[in-house]
Amino acid sequence: MQPDPEEERPVSTPKRQRTATVNADRHGSPEITPLRRIKTPQKASAPTPAALKESGLKTPTNRSKAKALFSTPAKAAAPSTPSRAKNADRSAKKKSVRLLQEQVNDDEDDWDGADRLAEEILDDDDADPTIEKEDGVAETVEAESGEPAKKGAAATPKRRAGRPKGARNKRSPTPEGDLPPHERYFFQNRAGPARTSNTTLNKLNLLTHEEYFEKLQGYTDPCQKEKTFLQELHHRSFPQWDFEFDQGFNICLYGYGSKRQLLQQFADWHYHRHSSSPPAIVMVNGHTPGISIRSIFATVVTAVLGADIPSKMGFQPVEVLELLQSSLKARPSQKPITVLINSIDAPPLRRAANQALLARLAATPKIHLLATTDTPNCSLMWDISLRDQFNFAFHDCTTFIPFDGEFDVVEEVHSLLGRKGRRIGGKDGVEFVLKSLPENAQNLYRLLLTELVSMSDGGRLSEDEEAGNGREDAANKDDLGIEFRMLYQKAAEEFIASSEMMFRTLLKEFHDHQMITSRIDTSGMEILGVPLSQQEMTSMLEDLVLA
Amino acid sequence: MDPEMADADAPKDGSNTQGVYLYHPANVTKAPGERPSKRRKVLPEKQADNTTHPFVPLLDGDETAASVESRYNFYQTLWSEQETKIQGILNEADSGVLEEVLSFVRSTSPQTYGNCIPTALVTVGSNVSSLGRLLARLNDRLTTAGEGGVVALESGDAPNLKTTLKNIIRAAITNTEGNEGYQSFLTDRDGPRLLGYDLDVLGDYVKRKGVTKLVIAFQDSEAVDPNMLTDLLSLLSSWVDRIPFTLLFGISTSVELFEGRLLRSSVALLRGRYFKIHGASNCVDRIYENLQADENGQFWLGRNITATLFEKSTDAFQTPEAFSQTVKYAYMSHFFANPLATLLASDASPSLRQNKLCEAIRNVPSFRSFCEDHLDAGSSKYVRQLLEDDEYLYSQSLEHLRVGQQKMRYLFQAARTIHICLKHLGIAKDTSISDVSTRALSGELVDSPWVEEILTGLKMLDSTKLQELIAILPGSLAAHPDLGAIHEDLEYLLQEYKDVTPLRSEYDNHHSVLTSTVLRQSVKLSRRKAKLPDQDVDYTRIIDRFHALTGAFFAEALLNPQDLFLHEAFIIDMKNPLKEIFSPRPRYAIERALARPFDYLISTSNTSEARVSAKQPATAILYQLILESGALVNVHDLWQAFNAVFESDGDADCDERMVLTLFYRALSELKSFGMVKSSRKKLDHIAKTSWVGL
Repeated sequence: MQPDPEEERPVSTPKRQRTATVNADRHGSPEITPLRRIKTPQKASAPTPAALKESGLKTPTNRSKAKALFSTPAKAAAPSTPSRAKNADRSAKKKSVRLLQEQVNDDEDDWDGADRLAEEILDDDDADPTIEKEDGVAETVEAESGEPAKKGAAATPKRRAGRPKGARNKRSPTPEGDLPPHERYFFQNRAGPARTSNTTLNKLNLLTHEEYFEKLQGYTDPCQKEKTFLQELHHRSFPQWDFEFDQGFNICLYGYGSKRQLLQQFADWHYHRHSSSPPAIVMVNGHTPGISIRSIFATVVTAVLGADIPSKMGFQPVEVLELLQSSLKARPSQKPITVLINSIDAPPLRRAANQALLARLAATPKIHLLATTDTPNCSLMWDISLRDQFNFAFHDCTTFIPFDGEFDVVEEVHSLLGRKGRRIGGKDGVEFVLKSLPENAQNLYRLLLTELVSMSDGGRLSEDEEAGNGREDAANKDDLGIEFRMLYQKAAEEFIASSEMMFRTLLKEFHDHQMITSRIDTSGMEILGVPLSQQEMTSMLEDLVLA
Repeated sequence: MDPEMADADAPKDGSNTQGVYLYHPANVTKAPGERPSKRRKVLPEKQADNTTHPFVPLLDGDETAASVESRYNFYQTLWSEQETKIQGILNEADSGVLEEVLSFVRSTSPQTYGNCIPTALVTVGSNVSSLGRLLARLNDRLTTAGEGGVVALESGDAPNLKTTLKNIIRAAITNTEGNEGYQSFLTDRDGPRLLGYDLDVLGDYVKRKGVTKLVIAFQDSEAVDPNMLTDLLSLLSSWVDRIPFTLLFGISTSVELFEGRLLRSSVALLRGRYFKIHGASNCVDRIYENLQADENGQFWLGRNITATLFEKSTDAFQTPEAFSQTVKYAYMSHFFANPLATLLASDASPSLRQNKLCEAIRNVPSFRSFCEDHLDAGSSKYVRQLLEDDEYLYSQSLEHLRVGQQKMRYLFQAARTIHICLKHLGIAKDTSISDVSTRALSGELVDSPWVEEILTGLKMLDSTKLQELIAILPGSLAAHPDLGAIHEDLEYLLQEYKDVTPLRSEYDNHHSVLTSTVLRQSVKLSRRKAKLPDQDVDYTRIIDRFHALTGAFFAEALLNPQDLFLHEAFIIDMKNPLKEIFSPRPRYAIERALARPFDYLISTSNTSEARVSAKQPATAILYQLILESGALVNVHDLWQAFNAVFESDGDADCDERMVLTLFYRALSELKSFGMVKSSRKKLDHIAKTSWVGL
């Protein structure tokens, strides 16, 4: 808090020069500080030395620094080049920011929503809709109606041409009224920089697998009763499905929700209905990684032939299928085989070749196929001839049951967020693995961390100038890595690895545990990195050095 | 999820994590959806022998077993009849091409073609399935004659030369020898063991079995890799002196395009003929006509279903098989789910009468209008008896049912007559029977312009055309005694007449004379009847009789099926099952489930308004939040919004980590559905990939 007023005063100086409102200046500074606090929480701790350094270096920084504080991500590069800063200064957006600032100052009240409001506008008002709904409705509306009015008053007639630009800025992602779908698509995909806020998930402690499952166990579903009822409704169709099977149709179930339970229950029901001579039922879980069509066919063959399976079934799925077809033909008294496939559109089965094979299985007489699909676009998998072969009767079986058995939730989300390395359990996991590795490996990892941390310390100086800039941040994060050759040299110098082969062996161990990342950069060099955050690396390094 | 439930459902042997496994009942005594075993013991035997047919008792489960049985049996006989008809039509449709191809295969050989491989090019157009049928029948003919066989390959069977050869050899041998035969061919031979793709195996087989024709057919030749095909062709042509190959290519585009994809040198190895299979729509029309307008028809598809069926077959490619499957499903759903279908069974006797069934009949809309008509006519006693006496109602229903069925048959005869007349008189030549039927089924034909035009057109017919028309008139009208009399008179008249020019009626334009009179400076044209020869006067009388007869026939037969008593029993006319079963909209279903979850989850509380609330499933909440955001979504803000939904609801058990868990689950589901994907544009951002309604 202490150094802030010192820095803050210059911020409003240019404003005073322009608008000459001394009052505003005095009341301005306490207003701004909390705003800054909220906007860039990370910076409060880190950047003091850097900031000092910078202000010492450049004399006219007062002004540009002010810009850096409030600048939008797209224009983050502005402060370094004064000419661009000027351009940016001229922009309608800047102006509106300044006006807004004044307005707040003029009002001279500690209006609670002001911080958030200003922040919203600065951050391109792409804050999440619900917050607006909850406590920001009145404020947002007022601000949006107030802003253009102010601007209209402030802008000279000549400036009017620039107004649409400003007007575009305040468009919210949700357009008013009911747009037809295609209009909505074009509205949301309109050109221009992405108008989303720069907040990141850094503060949020991401879930580990353990925590996820632990929490999930304690969860009670508020809709449990309704879901059970829905399930019972589907149970009533079991005789109908049976009849459809009997008439040579295959069945495809679609709709939202996991249908694994439903299929299990259908299998139970089917089994009991024909309990006098139990039918053979083959269950397939499409989401199982590494599942092969051949194994499905082979299981069906086992179901038909029982003990007299030929010793050699063949390696190609087609061969197994033909064996199946010929043995079914040879046994006219064979009872139908029911094949239940969970998630026929799961990634392992999704390929066109696999679907063609399954279609041939489905077209085989005496094979009853019931498949479930999860994705919305599942029908795209089948063309007319496949559809003919499948001969599906479709049923909407929305169950609303979560896909706990199908998806690896934590992994999926982390890969969606681009944080794959969390798999081994972050820092703890790496430490655990390291403990079980020989000393050489530990030393190599320490070396790698040292290099990376020192590199990032060096890079941080420049990074701080652009703090809060998500894109740069992301790029830096990715870039952080050491070249393979360089690391090998250092390792050789420290007598960790005497030969390249040994070095590679050590690295392979890390690779296997996903403790390092490796990629080829544009010049073709292999860059090694660690899938950990800055803080984690630092504390990890400390632990290693102390140990 | 209810932990108890999860435990019960997870198989004990951990098969949930297994990819493929044979089902074993986890718990033999308990079947879900049925009562616990204790109470079920009362009816164990009955349960067991119920399994002879898959129908379930309707009418709230009170339908008698005999009635269920008769429903099922009637369905079986009815559909097997229809299926034979369909099969006959399909066989007949491509029998012409089959004969041509067969004679081509038999007559040609490499010797007659100067060491080129005989090749048949068959264009199928959109009629994709017909080639498969054709090949199967060709194979039957060749194998029964002991001449050889057909190897049908799809593009999937031919990824590379080795596999293709292997598949050809195996398919050719297993076709006649079976799987064991193939194995023995591979192993039981002198000399070194041959590999599966060695054409020596096939040559050996041909020599031993005396095969004279071996047809290798590529069903979708466009999808086959042309380089592979080039290699294969050159290889086959070098073996053609030992193995009597004939090639057959199914072509969906055009012969020129197919030829363009091959090298000139490989084209030079082939020589042959070009065959054409005709489109599917013709076939579909004939199937429909044969099913509906049968002279002994007992059950019909209604207007809506007809419209749906033909909409589908015109909007999208549809094979005749798919069409008949759809029709089959309509039949199935009627007999499976409509208790009135029992009445159709030919053995419907008083013994099958049930109180519940009579109750059901009384609830049918057509019964209501039937009663109202009778009340209007003043026969209230009759109606009272129907309402009170089950036995009487039952016998009356059966009687009216037969009458109704007869009327339906007439209706379709009339529709067919109209169709024929339309074509014969050249009024609307490209109308299909389906158009006419749809109108007939909705009762629109009676006063339609078609009928009027036909009736005026009939009057103008000359004797030759009338003779032709009478000859092709269908069933019931042709059997009409009056028509017979007309026909006789006409024949008699024509015998007397013996002139080259046909007889014309007085309504014909040939008999009117154009006169022009000048009246007050303007020319007035007027037609006047010319003096008719005697024969023509007689002929006019015949035409008048014929006209009256057809008019009366149309007026009688073209009624609205919806007015028939108990039409619910012998017409199925619901759009819905067919549309949903055969043209599903999975994406719409999922979007609806997520956007409006309470459409599916019938809420016990009254909070089912459109607002996002924590009462909804997590994925639905997240989906709706994503719908509101732009193309690029900040995950942190999304998470804040998601959390806010739960916080605002103020549940006691809503701690942040738990909400985060739900957030994770929802996000992973949306990702798997392909609704969002990761974005590299900004840190911690995801991109939206699907828009509602697009």
